[in-house]
Amino acid sequence: MSSILEEIETKIAGLKTSTTKSNVGVVRETGDGVARIEGLSDVMLNEMIEFPNGVFGLALNLEETEVGAILLGETTKVSEGDEVKTTGKLLQVPVGKALLGRVVNTLGQPLDDKGPIKSETFYPLEKIAPGVIKRLSVSQPVQTGIMAIDAMIPIGRGQRELIIGDRATGKSTIAIDTIISQARLNKAAEDDGDKNYRPLYCIYVAIGQKNSNVARALNVLEREGALPYTTIISAPASDTATNQYLAPFAGAAMGEWFMDNGMDALIIYDDLSKHAVAYRQVSLVLKRPSGREAYPGDVFYLHSRLLERSARVKDEFGGGSVTALPIIETQAGDVSAYIPTNVISITDGQIYLETDLFYQGVRPAISVGLSVSRVGSAAQIKGIKQVAGKVKLDLAQFRELAAFAQFGSDLDAATKARLDRGQRIVELFKQKQYNPIPVEEQVAVMWAMQNGYVDPVPVDRVKEFQIKLQDWLQTRKESLLRSIREKKQLDQDLEGELKAALEEFKTTWQ
Amino acid sequence: MKINKEIRQISRQMLRASFTDGQFDRGKIASLVQSLISKKPRRYLDILQNYKRLLRLEIEKRHATIESASELSPQTSSKVITKLKKKYGNDLTADFVVDPALLGGVRVRVGSDVWDGTVRNRLQRLQQQL
Repeated sequence: MSSILEEIETKIAGLKTSTTKSNVGVVRETGDGVARIEGLSDVMLNEMIEFPNGVFGLALNLEETEVGAILLGETTKVSEGDEVKTTGKLLQVPVGKALLGRVVNTLGQPLDDKGPIKSETFYPLEKIAPGVIKRLSVSQPVQTGIMAIDAMIPIGRGQRELIIGDRATGKSTIAIDTIISQARLNKAAEDDGDKNYRPLYCIYVAIGQKNSNVARALNVLEREGALPYTTIISAPASDTATNQYLAPFAGAAMGEWFMDNGMDALIIYDDLSKHAVAYRQVSLVLKRPSGREAYPGDVFYLHSRLLERSARVKDEFGGGSVTALPIIETQAGDVSAYIPTNVISITDGQIYLETDLFYQGVRPAISVGLSVSRVGSAAQIKGIKQVAGKVKLDLAQFRELAAFAQFGSDLDAATKARLDRGQRIVELFKQKQYNPIPVEEQVAVMWAMQNGYVDPVPVDRVKEFQIKLQDWLQTRKESLLRSIREKKQLDQDLEGELKAALEEFKTTWQ
Repeated sequence: MKINKEIRQISRQMLRASFTDGQFDRGKIASLVQSLISKKPRRYLDILQNYKRLLRLEIEKRHATIESASELSPQTSSKVITKLKKKYGNDLTADFVVDPALLGGVRVRVGSDVWDGTVRNRLQRLQQQL
């Protein structure tokens, strides 16, 4: 007992309790999650300010005699006449590996029942992105496990690739698939004791989503064993606009910790349309002037400073990377609306999902013509480059010819061959959700397609052929798959082996 | 109250005209208000309201509120006022408030600056840090 008392006494002795100087103001108006405060003459922009009853706020508008602040936490506890104090601190969140496997809110407080988060390190929400000197070009792949993406729209570590499309076209599914694929790769490398593999940790930021959607994503990740490598930041639709506005920045701060400590992180912002809407609400109640579609003038800067924080940095600056997959929901396929054009111009490419394709059964419904990755083949392993180099061209030609083929019955042989090939590629790229394909199997399947092994198969059985082939390779030719995975390219020996394997498979296939 | 740019500009001009040598001039203020009332420009009531607010904020900047748990002795209070005048200028006014809830010590507020040396504040900070 006495030791506890002693401990408390030494703690008290260690605390400084002299006279403090602070800067105060008085709440003049409050409502809609913001407060207008008179006084606070020394407050800094984006500084945390303290209200009574343990409520905190952020000073966003510094005016001549007033300060406009957004409230974090329970807004009902703030009333007119309350005294507000400056704290001299910026808003910060806990970061580190303690957050993996957890579901947290915007401030990094746990929402799951796994106890408190033991993190010693804190990062500020707003941080200047790494400059040109610190950066390295993107050259390592993020294997999404989705064949169409890995083959045609490769994503590299440190890249920002937008996922854009109408509601219910499978945008979040691509993101979740990518997380699952990373978890499998991380786990495989851990089991093999592969020291060269750089694990990719995922942060899923849900902004303005339905709670049921977040719960479903959480269940899927848990079921697939991806949660131990993932942090979920949830600012659902029922949360305040303030929390929704700050959530992606909290995610970026958590990702930056991995980058600074030589690790790789992947952040999914699901979705930035709702983020822009939350920011619009905050800005309008703060009486900032509104611009196009009533968004404030700095909504472009809001997204550009957020996405600019994803980077791959040089070894002397940490040597890690942050990859961002922002998601944007369009209305009736309109990519020329304000927020979609903004984010398209900020990111290094986009994956465009089409409703029509989705209902034709092409899932993931990736539109090949409109999707690009500005990083290009730098972010592909050599094996994929060897087999997928021509796929995008083949598919583009197929789409063009498909329009003609609807009229004609008489087609020359070359056109017919091209059409047949196109149809089969489309079939091969169809993929079930939550079912990422390992890169070595992608290489094998695409090699089979490039070398005409898929051509004799009827179109409606191509998927069956692919699945059987993958199964067969997994069970019978494990060593071949492993050597593709390890060599990361197809040399002559491997091609010979692959050829022999496919000839063997052809005899069993009917 | 919605304040437009014009109102803000006029009331700010009036505030600037209310000083002589950096000190408030009661005569000037009265004549300014009188002339505004007699001329009755558009939305002059709003202008007066805003002017009043600016004046109040300006006065608060030159006014010290000294709170203590028990009444201060005359020597202590005069010492406090001279020190504050040294820092904020000679036109500083002050009033004293007794608030037993502070438990002990003194809290001085000038404008939006606060020096808090009260026992209540120390206890609150202890509570936060522990």
